[in-house]
Amino acid sequence: MTIISLMKQVPLPSEMRMGEDGLMDRTKAKSIINIDCGYALEAGIQIKNENPDAKLIVCSMGPPSFEESLKKALSMGYDEAYLLSDRRLGGSDTYATGLAISTMLKHLGFGKGLDEDFLIVAGRQTSDGDTAHVPSQVAENMGIPQATFIETADLVDGNIEAKRIIEGGYQMMKLPLPCALSFTPTGIDPRRPSLSGAIKARNSEITVFSIDDINLSDEKIGLSGSPTIVAKVANIKSERAPVKMSEGHSETELVNSLMENIKSGKNTLEVKEKKEKKEKKRPEGFEEIDFRDGASGILTWAEVVNGKISRPSLELLTPARDLANQLEEDTQVTTLLIGKDIQDLAKELVAHGSDEVIVVDDERLEEYRILPFSEIFAQVIKERNPEIALFAATTAGRELAPRIGVKTDSGVTADCTALEIGEHINRKEKKIFAPILESRRPTYGESKLATILGFVCPQISTARAGTFEVPTPDENREGIITNFEPKLKKKEFVSEIIETVRGEGGLQSLFDADIIVAGGRGATSDDLKLVQELAAALSEQGVKAEWACSRPVVDDGTAEYARQIGQTGKTVRPKVYVAIGVSGAVQHIAGMKESETIVAIDHNAKETIFSNADFGIVGEYQDILPELIEKVKSGFTFGLEVKK
Amino acid sequence: MDSTDTVSTDVLIVGGGPSGLAAAIHLADSLKKRGIDDKRIMLIEKGNAIGSHNLSGAVIDPKIFKTFLPDVDISEIPLDSEVTVDKTMFLTETSDNALPFHPPYMNNIGNYSASISKLCKYLAQIAEDKGVEIYSGFAVEDVIYKDGKVSGVKTKDTGVDHHGKNLKNFQEGTTVEAAITILAEGTRGSVAKKVIDALDLDTGCNEQIYSLGVKELWSVPEGNIEAGTVYHTMGYPLQSGSEFGGGFIYGLEDNKVALGLVVGLDYKDPSFDVHAAMQVWKQHPFVSKILEGGTIQEFGAKTLPEGGYYAMPKFYDDNLMIVGDSAGFLTTARLKGIHLAIESGMMAAKAAAKALVSGDTSKASLSYYNELFEQSNAYEEMYRARNFRQAFDKGMLLGGLQFATQLITGGAGVLGRLRTEKDSEVLMSLNAFTGVPFAQRFEGKLEFDKKFTFDKVTDVFYSKANHEEEQLCHLVLNNPENYNKVNIEQYGCPEASFCPAEVYELHTDKEGHKELRIHAENCVHCKTCDIKSPAAGITWVVPYGGDGPDYEYM
Repeated sequence: MTIISLMKQVPLPSEMRMGEDGLMDRTKAKSIINIDCGYALEAGIQIKNENPDAKLIVCSMGPPSFEESLKKALSMGYDEAYLLSDRRLGGSDTYATGLAISTMLKHLGFGKGLDEDFLIVAGRQTSDGDTAHVPSQVAENMGIPQATFIETADLVDGNIEAKRIIEGGYQMMKLPLPCALSFTPTGIDPRRPSLSGAIKARNSEITVFSIDDINLSDEKIGLSGSPTIVAKVANIKSERAPVKMSEGHSETELVNSLMENIKSGKNTLEVKEKKEKKEKKRPEGFEEIDFRDGASGILTWAEVVNGKISRPSLELLTPARDLANQLEEDTQVTTLLIGKDIQDLAKELVAHGSDEVIVVDDERLEEYRILPFSEIFAQVIKERNPEIALFAATTAGRELAPRIGVKTDSGVTADCTALEIGEHINRKEKKIFAPILESRRPTYGESKLATILGFVCPQISTARAGTFEVPTPDENREGIITNFEPKLKKKEFVSEIIETVRGEGGLQSLFDADIIVAGGRGATSDDLKLVQELAAALSEQGVKAEWACSRPVVDDGTAEYARQIGQTGKTVRPKVYVAIGVSGAVQHIAGMKESETIVAIDHNAKETIFSNADFGIVGEYQDILPELIEKVKSGFTFGLEVKK
Repeated sequence: MDSTDTVSTDVLIVGGGPSGLAAAIHLADSLKKRGIDDKRIMLIEKGNAIGSHNLSGAVIDPKIFKTFLPDVDISEIPLDSEVTVDKTMFLTETSDNALPFHPPYMNNIGNYSASISKLCKYLAQIAEDKGVEIYSGFAVEDVIYKDGKVSGVKTKDTGVDHHGKNLKNFQEGTTVEAAITILAEGTRGSVAKKVIDALDLDTGCNEQIYSLGVKELWSVPEGNIEAGTVYHTMGYPLQSGSEFGGGFIYGLEDNKVALGLVVGLDYKDPSFDVHAAMQVWKQHPFVSKILEGGTIQEFGAKTLPEGGYYAMPKFYDDNLMIVGDSAGFLTTARLKGIHLAIESGMMAAKAAAKALVSGDTSKASLSYYNELFEQSNAYEEMYRARNFRQAFDKGMLLGGLQFATQLITGGAGVLGRLRTEKDSEVLMSLNAFTGVPFAQRFEGKLEFDKKFTFDKVTDVFYSKANHEEEQLCHLVLNNPENYNKVNIEQYGCPEASFCPAEVYELHTDKEGHKELRIHAENCVHCKTCDIKSPAAGITWVVPYGGDGPDYEYM
């Protein structure tokens, strides 16, 4: 068996700087193996340890400087390294990247038939792209099954058994070989190389391919092979002034100082007067191009979880309706609903704004699986020819959209926080492309907002859960409900779901709470007891309080997934968010940064949580919290009004 | 994944500072001169990259480069600036006066300021070009012995949780068998310490004594200080008679300033805090006007072995040599060790080359290293200044006179060989110490604004120190049951004061119960705790390779 690890080298996120040209300057930042890719490398080694005959190879695509990270992979224990490196690859989007990598793998002899003995392991996403597209795109190009958001995987009797992280819990999946897996950075930490490994790596050669070596034509890659472009990157200005830190030499002094700080208010940012922007005039004499070529309408996916339409799928109908309103008058919002015994859910979608619901009701489709679902989408898209397709950026949506994109030759924009209809002016070619979907997404650790445009229909985007409001349902709204019968082959059902485990309910109370007390890894030595006590004390005071946690706390089993705040959990915006022992990983910040006031308590003043907080205490939570709870019991409510 | 992961080499050098790199380069040169090209030279560095754990003032005496790198013009070496102004200032709390003369040995005109991190990166490239294999990011945990003789080293196991349990990503360390092992770990080398002890290499030596240097690198407005300007300060904030040391301020290229305070660790006040003393020193008008309008770029700390000639262990044994700071190659009188580190590396290299040719790496063969030393400039310099530091037991000015006498009498002074005590044993308990405690001495000057003066945590941020959480704590309490009774109750937890990186915190809860908390992630690898902790309370062991500070221009 061959284990193929796909790896990308990225600039150390904390060292990225914006260059003078407005693009990211990667040259000054140190390079590292992308965090998630490190977990994939380790997952490969784990499988090899149990199957000593397996060969480990690592593949990457990028400039020659990537050899540094490939060497590191070799020093961790990989046997061979390959790099696809060619200037003409510059500007490739995820679609073109997926194609180029697959072409390299095919050149290496993989992906020719279904009875091959190989496994692809990749990181879930990269820190400089955050799309999570490439593993799906490679799997589709290679024509093999896939599972993304995998934490651990084992080879059992020739099949892969993998634990896949999903909203609310996890799934145990079984996939035949060959298949592709993408790993979250929550499984087994990547090992440090041994000295003997480093010595071996020093003496190993890395095979470098140009696109000619693998017979890839330059039209299929780079800018010309990419259905999407990055039209604009803007800075996301921090709207948070520097944190006000508590001063004091004991718990009592620190907590008193916090109370005084909250009373006196946050630090304020100096607001620089913005220069008024001149309205850009639409240039005259440019050719206006409607590249949609007859494609029309917006297609969304209604994800069914536990027999209900998931909240993010309902949220999606808000931007879908807005976009339809910005397009031609008769633009339809169509929703695809796939599952078993789901006819009743169609009406709910109509009430929330779908003009038409296409229902695929099949007992084999009770649970989401990527192969049949992506095939159904491809067939519906072929029949309906929508101009835009939208998915909620859930674990399912984020793998489904790119796989569909490969089937329809479309690019995909991941994890958007704003969707609008606009136009693209190409001054060089004197052309205006309109109307076009402008998908905006935070990137580079939430520090930049990129606008991505796609020029192939359907223009596909996934929208971040928790970003848009659920539309107010109107039970009297009318819409069409259509049944659709897809043609599905046996091979779409090769992967099995052995077990799905979801934690307690959706915990909607987190969305309604005025104050959330969240515990991170640094608050678990008492199993979050103090965190819960603080929330309970606040509730007793008559404040709407709830407790939550960060990702590692869910991983180690201390709390259920429903309480997880962050990119792969819930996005909340309470009036007050109290982060205790939370380091402030980007993924967590994404889920709470919209909170009105953020209070951080941690023993390590260097943690990034403090640069995202309004008030802070540096100290051990076991010391601070008892004091804080006492103050709450005698009436301190973080400045929140108490409703009697 | 073999369980016995072994590689072998002819020469293994532990540590990629100036002495280790000099040994590597000079050995490659010496072997080439002898027409030998089949010997493997391997160098292992614990820092993430070469240079990332190297810190020095630094002002370097460039003479050594003529013999060390004969084919390289001095202009090609990435030194910073040639020293053109050199003054020693005597500070009182409010005034500054230039001394009308240089203290003996302190003339720096013609020397060069430099970043040792940068210099080491340059030397590493030269070494690589000469065929030396350099592996950075690997921590050597201990030497291995065969028949009671050193026969190589073992690197640290990784993938262990903080209780010592193997994790799924456990990776066993590599055993390196070497005909000759050269320890170049720097000050208070954790492996050298064990070997010196195991092989009794310090029998009859004075106790090694140390200073702690705390350094900041600043970027200041043009005109604050010219590149090539060197100031040393004596006096404030240190107390004559009980605290040995002084400050340094070096003007560098691109309007950078390297500055720091170096204080002998033989002070007695258990609450003395070198880092805080440096912040107090920065508030002196002479220093503050140089920093005005500037911003901090980097922070770091290191200890310096200052025992001098009499404190040097026997630095060779069967298959083993010790070089640089690990062997005590430093002349406190000149505040310099880099040229001696390089010279010691070169001498060890000559001995290694000779031994490899003859096939005899025994103690007798390697004693050639000592022979070379006794004929060297290093010896001349160190022997003349052999009682320098000891003389200062009587205070800076008296000590200066004592040292001047020593120079006249060829180093013997009026007292012959002066003895020293261990730094940890000089420290007084709270009860025994009758002087004014540190906090009282500098009342009103210990509130740091985090812009001009910094608390330790803020400064540590600028060292970019980092340590993986999943590993055994690399700061080992030797007698945990004794610690509260002795170190906390009797001494008031001096670790919290002397550690410049806030690794140690004395926590007092509401009931008044006191306990030590260790924040190992802050450690900048200065090893003061290993040196100064009362009752040998703490042992510094090497953490995972690649952990620690990440200096760029220190």
